Amino acid sequence: MQYVIIGSSAAGISAIEAIRTKDKVSKIIVISDEKNPLYSRCLISYLLAGTIDEKKIWYKPGSFFKDNKVEALLGIKADKINIKKKEITLDNKEKIKFDRLLIATGASPKLENIPGIDKKGVFPLRTIEHAIEIQSMLDKVKSVAILGGGLIGLRAAYALKNRGKDVSVFVKSGSILSQIIDKDAAGLMQKRIEEKGIKIFTGVAAKEIQGDKSANRIIFDNGSEIVGNGRDRSLLVIIGKGVSPNIEIAKDAGIKTNRGILANEHLETNVESIFTAGDVSETNDIALEESSMNAIWPAACEQGRIAGLNMAGENELYEGSLAMNSIEFFGLPVISVGITRPKSDKYKEIVKKDPSKNIYKKIVLKNGIIKGVIFVNSIENIGVIGSLIKNKVDVSGVKDIILEDYFDYGKIATLVKKSKKGFREPEFKETIMTL
Amino acid sequence: MKKIYCNIKKCLGCGSCEIACAVEHSKSKELNKSIAESPLPVKRRKAKFIEEGVSISTGCHHCENAACVTACMSGAMHKDKKTLLTQHDKDKCVGCWMCIMSCPFGALTRLKEEKIVLKCDLCPDREIPACVEACPTKALVLGTLKEFESKAVNILRASP
Repeated sequence: MQYVIIGSSAAGISAIEAIRTKDKVSKIIVISDEKNPLYSRCLISYLLAGTIDEKKIWYKPGSFFKDNKVEALLGIKADKINIKKKEITLDNKEKIKFDRLLIATGASPKLENIPGIDKKGVFPLRTIEHAIEIQSMLDKVKSVAILGGGLIGLRAAYALKNRGKDVSVFVKSGSILSQIIDKDAAGLMQKRIEEKGIKIFTGVAAKEIQGDKSANRIIFDNGSEIVGNGRDRSLLVIIGKGVSPNIEIAKDAGIKTNRGILANEHLETNVESIFTAGDVSETNDIALEESSMNAIWPAACEQGRIAGLNMAGENELYEGSLAMNSIEFFGLPVISVGITRPKSDKYKEIVKKDPSKNIYKKIVLKNGIIKGVIFVNSIENIGVIGSLIKNKVDVSGVKDIILEDYFDYGKIATLVKKSKKGFREPEFKETIMTL
Repeated sequence: MKKIYCNIKKCLGCGSCEIACAVEHSKSKELNKSIAESPLPVKRRKAKFIEEGVSISTGCHHCENAACVTACMSGAMHKDKKTLLTQHDKDKCVGCWMCIMSCPFGALTRLKEEKIVLKCDLCPDREIPACVEACPTKALVLGTLKEFESKAVNILRASP
């Protein structure tokens, strides 16, 4: 048996660990185009902010591959998969055979077709190299323009503000974090971010990035512009426009793709023995109840684990992924799970606001079942709501108290006991055994 | 694996476990001194009301497939390879609250200023965890699942 894994971030690492719990001897080969892949991608902005040192970014020890008896081909790209021959061609023309393959190629930052985007001083923020390159510019640059008001854009903004830069964020849509939270929650977050000196402009898109070699000016579609104000007027530009999955290698090989690589409930693709996990995979979304992409760290780890187990011959079912994000800016945290901006009138919303405490809570319901939740500044029990979403529990009986601060696991213990299909993890049973 | 279980039939929701937990995790480990400490000691366990007259004391359940460990992006939350307990390394924690987002029991406490989470560590300095020792009705027990299961059968048989 020879396992091959393409990609060595969250999904790839989790798959290696899972395979090794079942199969201690077979060969595992990992291919990664990153030279040092064992860092946590989510910590890059913390590194940029200077809130962690470089030691802390390593998610696994340097000996991880050796400890798990993995042959790691680093700084090498997988070019082609031949599904008939069960063979991969690398960019150095070398060929590698596999019995089981995991495609965990992740995603790449979307770089929009803005003229001038190739100028010096324009960066996405996806890899540790990006962070190091940006860091090396910080002495020279005073102003920063962030294009995009999503998770990455705002994390970059926070990081560079922390480094004493003059930061402006330009957001195409009407509110920040529009993929993750609703307008009301976004309003609270935006207020806090602006209070701390980051400028946010919504409803504007960049038309052109100008400068001789280095970027020093951006022209926007509403006629406004931002100009660098450092010694040489240079402007640091960070692109935070989301990511697109790296599906090409699978698509070219004839593996079924949609937005991502399509995975079944075992995280296997339409081709036997070829699995997929992480940001590149498209799986069942538990809240939407349809195939979708959830390019988030927890989903990548879970998928990697289950794909790894199944590659090693187990029969683990993947129930699906759920959108979930946690962010905090200047002491104000927000967490959201599932559907937060419903698009049809089949959904009902319950909202609780306490502006004096910056608290905002919302649940989104469909037929008495919670499909989504947003909590701002009162987040401790959001995981309890998350498990109600995951287990598709009818919450009609408790919906009047669900947004109260005292709503905790105790209040759902009876629902857990009554539930016939849900709450399958043994720990639920353990808690209500004497109820 | 030994962990803490709660017998709901006996739990009064009195909060003795909460106080004992906070004191055990204080600097002085003495109630009268710990209430004057700054920062105030923080509990990692909570007595929760289920309905009138029915309560449960919960903390970390050291889940087999712990959602907090899966979600942790810094490697702070991890499984101890030998004991299989869920452990938290506060030096690695960056306060991203992904574990809070994932824990179905709400078992994590957020330290806002320090930007780290706290969780039950089963009192490493003690043989019997402080909450178990402090429980006036012996609702909290330390043991294996098997031990608690056999107890639970008797508990349910004895209850009206």
